[in-house]
Amino acid sequence: MKITEFVKGFMISVNTGIQHLFRKRMTTMYPETQNYPTLDMYAYDPRKGIAVSGWRGRHYLDMTKCTGCQLCYIACENISEAIEMVPLPETNYPQNKKKIFPAVDYGRCVFCGFCVDACPFYALYMTPVAELSEYDRNDLYYSPYELSKPPAVNPTPRAKEKIDIKRGVYDER
Amino acid sequence: MNTSTNLQGLPGVFEEEVSPEGKLRVSFGPQHPGSGHMRIILTINGDIVEDAIPDVGYVHRGVEKMCEYKTYIQNIPHIERPAIHDSAGTTLPYILATEKLLDLSEKVPERAQYIRMLLAEMNRMINHFYFLGILGIFMGHSTVTTWGMGDRELLIETAAMMTGARVTFSFIVPGGVRTDTPHGFEERLLKSCDYLESRVKTYKDYLLENPFARMRMENVGIIKKEDAIAFGLAGPTLRGSGVKSDVRKDEPYLLYDTVEFDVPSYPEGDAMARTKVHIEEIQQSIAIIRQVVGKMKPGPVKIPLRGQIRGKIGDAYARVEGARGMNSYYIISDGQVYPYRVRVNTADSRNLAIMRRVLQGVRVADVPVVHWSLDYWPVAADR
Repeated sequence: MKITEFVKGFMISVNTGIQHLFRKRMTTMYPETQNYPTLDMYAYDPRKGIAVSGWRGRHYLDMTKCTGCQLCYIACENISEAIEMVPLPETNYPQNKKKIFPAVDYGRCVFCGFCVDACPFYALYMTPVAELSEYDRNDLYYSPYELSKPPAVNPTPRAKEKIDIKRGVYDER
Repeated sequence: MNTSTNLQGLPGVFEEEVSPEGKLRVSFGPQHPGSGHMRIILTINGDIVEDAIPDVGYVHRGVEKMCEYKTYIQNIPHIERPAIHDSAGTTLPYILATEKLLDLSEKVPERAQYIRMLLAEMNRMINHFYFLGILGIFMGHSTVTTWGMGDRELLIETAAMMTGARVTFSFIVPGGVRTDTPHGFEERLLKSCDYLESRVKTYKDYLLENPFARMRMENVGIIKKEDAIAFGLAGPTLRGSGVKSDVRKDEPYLLYDTVEFDVPSYPEGDAMARTKVHIEEIQQSIAIIRQVVGKMKPGPVKIPLRGQIRGKIGDAYARVEGARGMNSYYIISDGQVYPYRVRVNTADSRNLAIMRRVLQGVRVADVPVVHWSLDYWPVAADR
């Protein structure tokens, strides 16, 4: 490498680095802002045969529609075996004569969403909740009652991502 | 302890030792961050590597065998896991081969094929930014590491907007894709592409002009054109040796014959040429995405398949150009709900073949750079 080439390349790369001093910070402050790209629920329309875009996170189970047909359990059977059908004799839903509902073990779930695609009764959805960390492994097992609670709305503001060629990608707050 | 290890075979029990001539045999990995989930047994004379035996198989998980007792749909989530930064490029040939078995290849809607192309090109860019990031950290150039990972994040979130997952999309299924593009997706994708195009110039200035990065990468790990063809290399490693080979051009799948793009290649064959190919390919992917978004028309994105899928009796083969080269799947079906045999061939296992040849004669400090620039990912190679 010639010395002129060395100096020229050095100046170009240092100049590029200096330009980045005046750009905005790329990162978002995570616990203070939530940075999910979408806040919609992942749902499946069995009549049309296609799904609706959304974040594939924790499930939401509509117990008034679940018939206990076990199709979600069968779909999960060879993928991660996270879904288990649980008998709930105390429930009294007219459509669910067998009185069995799915429970999900999030220590095993891979969030592929094929259980949602398997449900023919609009009973299973996936919500944009992915913060499922627990201190005890057994707490990751969600019973049908826990799954049927609608997800709590995260009160932290959403990151307003701004894409600017001159100033970079940054969180505009 | 068995210390009389044979260099030709792979030693089971390995101990570092100095030969009477003063050559040191040392294990590079498997915990070393510069080797990944594998180890390289180096014989070093001073600072020069005299022999390097890649010892692989640490992350073998039996994907091919697992495919034999799962249905065609259940195979999708675990097939994409070995290559996490190229999950669309790994799933796509499996889906294309499955569609041949289901007689669906001609019936897949046009919009679904365009969405598959979008996802494949986005995944190619995600992989190439990841490549630049890890290349930076292997060279000791930590600025490029943070930039590469940061720019990758933009595309990951754009992909997550449509697919619902950041890395393992499980999005391409037999018959089409799972969802249509959500509201505002194309707009955000084009905006990201404009931004990333400006970043490509930054990388060129900062990495390819930088004299210190050039000293680390130029004339390091040279693969000659004849060697690259003889060893059957694939992807950017092959194109970095001056061979213009790309499955998208040679045997167009999806609708790649309707878009215009170049196949970048550099004749030098060193680590720098391979890095240049990666950066040029980001630019070509941006060009493809812009054309595809212009061509997309509203329409169906999936043929609904009812019940359990059964392939017809026979076999099918499909290959695509993944981010790291040609990925191919060969599926034999005996008419059951499970495939009879699935043969996976990834580009990573092809690129491994030349590693011993390339590493002979390089300096010890250059081993991580050569290793990473070969585009070899142990998990996808071991499967």
